[in-house]
Amino acid sequence: MKRYGEHRFPGKLFIVEGIDGSGKSTQLTLLHQWLRGEGHGVVNSEWNSSPLVSNTTRRGKKRRTLTPATFSLIHATDFADRFEHNIIPLLKAGVVVLCDRYIYTAFARDVARGMDSSWVRELYSFAVKPTAAFYFRVPLETAMERLLSGRHGFKFYEAGMDLGRSDDPVESFRLFQGRILEEYEKMIPDFDLHVVDATLPIEVQQAHIRHVVKSKLEQAKRLMVAP
Amino acid sequence: MRETYGTKLPGMNLEELAGRLIVVEGTDGVGRTTQINLLKPWLEKEGRAVIDTGMGRSALAGKGLKRAKEGHTLGRITLSLYYATDFADRLENEIVPALRAGFVVLTDRYIYSLMARALVRGIDPAWVRDVYRFALKPDAVFYLRISLEDLIPRMVLSRGFDYWESGMDLHPSEDMYESFCRYQTSLLGRFDRLAEEYQFEVIDAAQSAQTVFGRLREGIREVLDNKARKPAAAPVPPPPARDTVRDEARGDTVASAQP
Repeated sequence: MKRYGEHRFPGKLFIVEGIDGSGKSTQLTLLHQWLRGEGHGVVNSEWNSSPLVSNTTRRGKKRRTLTPATFSLIHATDFADRFEHNIIPLLKAGVVVLCDRYIYTAFARDVARGMDSSWVRELYSFAVKPTAAFYFRVPLETAMERLLSGRHGFKFYEAGMDLGRSDDPVESFRLFQGRILEEYEKMIPDFDLHVVDATLPIEVQQAHIRHVVKSKLEQAKRLMVAP
Repeated sequence: MRETYGTKLPGMNLEELAGRLIVVEGTDGVGRTTQINLLKPWLEKEGRAVIDTGMGRSALAGKGLKRAKEGHTLGRITLSLYYATDFADRLENEIVPALRAGFVVLTDRYIYSLMARALVRGIDPAWVRDVYRFALKPDAVFYLRISLEDLIPRMVLSRGFDYWESGMDLHPSEDMYESFCRYQTSLLGRFDRLAEEYQFEVIDAAQSAQTVFGRLREGIREVLDNKARKPAAAPVPPPPARDTVRDEARGDTVASAQP
């Protein structure tokens, strides 16, 4: 079976990570537009979007019966389905695949929920290493301001209410996402995450990302023409 | 105190799980369900409270898993993880609470069937073992063992060949009978190796249902009488043997640097 490592497919895999409110999805949309303009075949794959498991996930979230273990496993199932049926075939076909969240989301969230870190990492060991992974680093308060200005409150699981640390959704969110930030910070050196300062103006962040992506794509081209 | 195969789930207290966890394992169509339907009333007559559980029956994932299997498009890793989700939900919400209440938990298959199915589909044995590290070690595993020759007539005369039980996802170009024979042969081989590794109590399932029932009663009575009985399944180091049916379709391996 595949182990976590560099893939040898002709396609490229770029992924964004960060807590909600870090602005990563905005950045990914801009990257998508630019890559298409440059003439690349681009496809998005979003975290938690497999139709095979969506009913199960919805049921668990609605009835609040997901535990840290089943939360972790159902998301791994979702990822596996997208990975086996979507990401891998696309990479084989030479497509540029963009993922809004990748396995690092699970590493951060599941460990923040108390799952054993080596168990979660092994769970996803069938995944491949992205061509480049961007981590949008943002202070918790900034992310919360962004989120609270745009909508009403936080959802049960996103705020980590299932852990019962606080009855107040805002406070629970703060505690839970704070733990997630710690986990992300630990992963930066281990998984070669490119840190993007998500407090900078949007266009400055985008220029940074495009620069990295461009160099990865050119590197691939050079390797292709090499004798 | 109860043991797991290596990882304790958050919030799971392994102390004071006074009940007994009894597993009935075996391949598709071997008669596990028949036996559990006999065992439950027998145990109740003996004064034991019983719950029975089995694969694909979780409140969380049961329906979704059934629907996903109907489409015949589940990838092998996805299938494994979906079953693991189903198992974890039943472990936390049925099995552990029942053990805490002192019940006898009769389970129709456990992690071993899931392992066997994953292994014949070419999934890395170390990965499979790791996924199920959170499972509780049962008090006993009764393995209903049967040969392919004895299995075929039972299948034909009962419910017929099923897509997944015939491993049609592995050999789509073959007819169901050929595929069934190939698939069940490798599955039975896997079970035999697991039986050794996890010390199953093997029962010859080619005998009559009443004879098998008698053997199970004997074995279970022993488990119930002997409180200090050692958990059946202490894993020995996995044998280094390579998988023979593994990875036919897989040429796309990648470098193996785990960071």
